[in-house]
Amino acid sequence: MRRWIRHSAFSWAVALGLALMLPASVARAKSTPITHGTLELIAEDQWIAPGHTLYLGLHFQLDKDWHIYWINPGDSGEPPRVEWQVPRGVTAGPIEWPTPHRLETPGIVDFGYENSVTLIVPMHPGAGLTAQQAVQFGASLKLLVCSREMCVPGKAQLSLTLRVKTQPPLPDPGAAELFAATRKSLPLPIPKSWKISVADANDSFVLTASPGHPIIDHPITDHSITQAVFFALAESQIANDAPQSVSPLASGFRLTLRKSDQLLKPIQRLRGVLVLSGDRAYVIDVPISKARSGSGTP
Amino acid sequence: MKRSILNLVVTALVLCMASVMSSAKVGDSAPDFTGTASNGKTVHLADYRGKYVVLEWHNNGCPYVGKHYKSGNMQRLQKQWTGQGVVWLTILSSAPGNQGYVTASQENDYLAKMQAAPTAALLDPTGQIGHLYDAKTSPQMIVINPQGVVIYDGAIDDKPTTDLNDVPGATNYVSRALEEVMAGKPVETAATRPYGCSVKYGD
Repeated sequence: MRRWIRHSAFSWAVALGLALMLPASVARAKSTPITHGTLELIAEDQWIAPGHTLYLGLHFQLDKDWHIYWINPGDSGEPPRVEWQVPRGVTAGPIEWPTPHRLETPGIVDFGYENSVTLIVPMHPGAGLTAQQAVQFGASLKLLVCSREMCVPGKAQLSLTLRVKTQPPLPDPGAAELFAATRKSLPLPIPKSWKISVADANDSFVLTASPGHPIIDHPITDHSITQAVFFALAESQIANDAPQSVSPLASGFRLTLRKSDQLLKPIQRLRGVLVLSGDRAYVIDVPISKARSGSGTP
Repeated sequence: MKRSILNLVVTALVLCMASVMSSAKVGDSAPDFTGTASNGKTVHLADYRGKYVVLEWHNNGCPYVGKHYKSGNMQRLQKQWTGQGVVWLTILSSAPGNQGYVTASQENDYLAKMQAAPTAALLDPTGQIGHLYDAKTSPQMIVINPQGVVIYDGAIDDKPTTDLNDVPGATNYVSRALEEVMAGKPVETAATRPYGCSVKYGD
């Protein structure tokens, strides 16, 4: 009897496995359990077509108060590392990291995402992708999932099968909401009218932002910036736990960022994400100039 | 009234000094401390003037620390360097109730089980030593020279992972710093981002 049950369960597992392997219009792989959560590989479109960039999403659903890390994890932790297995003729682009959050515990400031996050990755199919019935995308991940109290390393292997067609792809309605919400959490390019400069002032970098003419899409006037937080893309450039003081200027504002003790050599550019008043985030990538006298730290 | 203002000023000054002291940068004097070891002995950093001292932040529940103990890497380093006269202090700054907090006897059992060989394992449940050196992670490593100056502060090596397979191919920053200074050379990589689990300080 017991053997029969086991046998039966095995058959069902095989049948289910076969059903999942069928290259039907599956644009969403079954969610995989990871330490303290689940992970899903989701395609934005219903199929892939040569010449049309396809966006895949790695959707992390974590237990309450657990987190993963941004590309610069801050004082501790490490970001997820993904190795892609892509079909012939397809090139994987870099992860589009949503704006991170500061995760603070006494004496430690980390950068990451609590509870849930989706990492979008563009896939560029070249001419090498030929019409065939279906292709498979695979992702091997090395993960670190942490709470404020502890960290658990893990691994995950995901795969997704998509049909190949020559006609332009149609979005998968089941994925639209997730991709739309995730894109809202990505930092935007800095508006063209803005002037951003960064000066090297001994123990600090001083970022000066002048929004220029107010723009309707970006209604940031000189006086509305009361909060600004900068996240450096690279580790060991600014002190993660140092207060970032904002001083209003007639034409904008100035943000003083204390250098990291680990920064022993000069850097040429400051790259990162600037978050204003809590929700508007912009990509920063500016050369660093030597501070003129008087524009240093207050 | 005057006196209370003076008190305030003095307090403010002391607080300022404390915050300055709390970051022991490379090139600065290593702040002195007194700690209680798991074997019950009292350890004064100043007593080791004239010797190289390695500080190792430890949390036995942290997978990054686990990588270096399960692979035997940390024990190997402890034996290698204490064998050459270096003082090796393992420091446990987890607060009670947090991951990595242990009693003296639990730590002694761990040291015996892992065949660890530090000069001493210091119990720092208040985080006093951790904060003095602004320790962020386990395993964060600090090297102090015989003159009492911090010459290295940062990661144990250049592979910030929990994977045991990454130990053999890694460049160990602690060993390299010690080898360089003992050969009369400057430490090429004197400060790195210490990788690992955040130090589990109390509030």
